[in-house]
Amino acid sequence: MKFKTTLPYAGLFVLAIAAGIITGHFVFQSRHAPPRPQTTAVLLHDAKPLPTFDLTGTDGKPFTKQSLIGHWSFLYFGYTHCPDACPTTLSALDHMMAALTKLPGARKPTVYFISVDPKRDDPALLKNYALYFNPNFVGATGSLDALRALTGPLGADFSYTPASQEGSYSVNHSSFVVLVDKEGEEVAVFDPPLNPRRMSADYLSILNYYGETE
Amino acid sequence: MKRHGLLLLLMLAASLSLADAATGPSVRASTIWIRQAPPGVAVLAGYFTLQNLTDKPLTLTAVESRDFAAVEMHRSLVKDGVEEMEPVQRIVIPAQGSVEFKPGGYHLMMMQPKKNLFAGDMAEVMLTFSDGSQLAILAPVRHDPPQR
Repeated sequence: MKFKTTLPYAGLFVLAIAAGIITGHFVFQSRHAPPRPQTTAVLLHDAKPLPTFDLTGTDGKPFTKQSLIGHWSFLYFGYTHCPDACPTTLSALDHMMAALTKLPGARKPTVYFISVDPKRDDPALLKNYALYFNPNFVGATGSLDALRALTGPLGADFSYTPASQEGSYSVNHSSFVVLVDKEGEEVAVFDPPLNPRRMSADYLSILNYYGETE
Repeated sequence: MKRHGLLLLLMLAASLSLADAATGPSVRASTIWIRQAPPGVAVLAGYFTLQNLTDKPLTLTAVESRDFAAVEMHRSLVKDGVEEMEPVQRIVIPAQGSVEFKPGGYHLMMMQPKKNLFAGDMAEVMLTFSDGSQLAILAPVRHDPPQR
């Protein structure tokens, strides 16, 4: 008898808690997580921490995961003896930056061109190459093992193919540009063909999505 | 006097617009340009659009330039997210159709220029087709793609 009277109350109690959780979930979501932006970039569902790596920048300083902390970064892997894809991508990144250079502080991104052809791309050549496209672009490279420590986890594979000219070779390299947040986490990937205007718009909406306002 | 100046300006504009196009008996080339290479790099990419003016398919069989040690036809392609370049020996232009050489696709790989080439310079390129015809084009070196 007692059991019969308390059962409906217990049921109501459970329902009320469930409703509270569901309502709370939606309120929390709408207040703290804005809807995922529609971007041409592939936005990772969860930001993925970069591995630790040890390369050398064209400024002569070590280029490590620590170098990426505190600002947002675009990473592109290529090589200087690349007549078509690399200049096309770096030129697009330069045009994208034209719309972003006035951003303050940590919102202003840095573009890194990482050569996966350390045999031919010495730091001096790499530096001039990166600066040619934009005075703020930074070049970096390192040993094959050091490069693979970064490219492997990013899925940015590279390999070498002999070219028709004696002793020459071309480099197969990832075609995408990786966006890294100021904590050193991969957040999005941009695939070619790159549209500078859409890239800068995507970048701004990703910043907002990540609550990066000032 | 004023009219003279205008005429001169018109002639200049006409000659400038002609610089990035060339027409032969069977092919018209347009949107011709070479991307200026960054310092220290001796490989440049050349681009153009070829329009077959005949009613038969036409094949581009050879490309030469006396301004470079070697010129090859290449194609950039992305396989599973990896950018690759493959040499191409022949390119067929469909009857009355066209083929575009453009960034991220077909391009001329122009190696070891005989002298440094900067934006505003011109390089000569000779195209040879399967019908035996040849087309000489003057390719302007540019920093950015031409606006279309």
